[in-house]
Amino acid sequence: MTGASATSLLSAAAGGDESAWAELVRRYTPVVYSVIRAYDLSRADAADVNQTVWLRLVEQLGRVREPEALPGWLATTARRECYRLSRLSRRAQPVDPYDQSLQTYHGLSRELAAMAPAPDDELLRAERRQALREGFVQLPPRCQALLALLTTDPPMSYREVAERLGIPIGSIGPTQARCLRRLRKCPAIVEFLGASAIGTNGGEPDGAVAAGR
Amino acid sequence: MEPWPPVDDDALTTELGAALWDTGPVSEAYLSAALAAFTWRTADAELAVAELTFDSAVDAELVGMTRSAASARTLSFRSGSVLVEIEVSDAGIVGQLSPSGGGRVSARTATGTYDEASVDAMGFFSLGVPPPGPVQLCARTVGYALSTAWVCLR
Repeated sequence: MTGASATSLLSAAAGGDESAWAELVRRYTPVVYSVIRAYDLSRADAADVNQTVWLRLVEQLGRVREPEALPGWLATTARRECYRLSRLSRRAQPVDPYDQSLQTYHGLSRELAAMAPAPDDELLRAERRQALREGFVQLPPRCQALLALLTTDPPMSYREVAERLGIPIGSIGPTQARCLRRLRKCPAIVEFLGASAIGTNGGEPDGAVAAGR
Repeated sequence: MEPWPPVDDDALTTELGAALWDTGPVSEAYLSAALAAFTWRTADAELAVAELTFDSAVDAELVGMTRSAASARTLSFRSGSVLVEIEVSDAGIVGQLSPSGGGRVSARTATGTYDEASVDAMGFFSLGVPPPGPVQLCARTVGYALSTAWVCLR
């Protein structure tokens, strides 16, 4: 299940396979969570957004036309619902009916604040991690096994990795390099780079300047 | 800007490790709520989904509605030619189905049905105050059966 594509997971889940659904949840909850975290919502509102997003996906299961677009769909849906709840909690606050101008002014600025997907580089980092997770899933099983062992914490020695995989120690380095080359060129990463080529000029962290003074 | 993914093998391995193993502190509550959502799959299978097409809480200013309408929130859902319009206030939900023709409407949260009502000849119905969290209405009439997209009503 862990190596299955989003396409096969979605169709299995649509057919009633609960373990496929569990795998979708395990794989994509971090995406939903990273979007929600970027908004200044109460804990209850944040939990409501998460629940709404997954209920929406259940209702769309048999209708998803482009399974590859799932992470984007989840992020967009989460963003929209965060915005909706940020508006609702504002409505719940009492307003002075005589102070129309101030209300309009604050309303607009808060609206803009809520719409901006908060710290740009944090979102970018989350999206890159998601692309890496998806790219990893697209690698051949031997590459997945090797890279998973090489990234464990605490790190495993080459000898232990070699023993576990039944390969000579000398082949680990070259195989790792070959697997990483494949990872850089895999569809998930290429697609992510294509999609983010437009509008990722926010990568320069402003904080670096402030921190370096 | 640094090229991404990193050209350096060690850097890429480190980043991959972080992606694979540090999924961050996603709370158990998020995971279990997401897992539990699956129970609605079979319940909804035979119902058409009416998508949310308007919500005064987010769309009102865009279409230039006046602030006097702000006391009650209005939402519209559409599935093909069927329209569900509801008004949510402190008193509860009043709504209208069109085309009309009688039937029943139920309202539920992720944990189950919280209210039910009949639809009159004009398509009107009223339901109790919705609990917090995502809510879905299900309408069954002679001509059609549908459920509205899940949305938080308060």
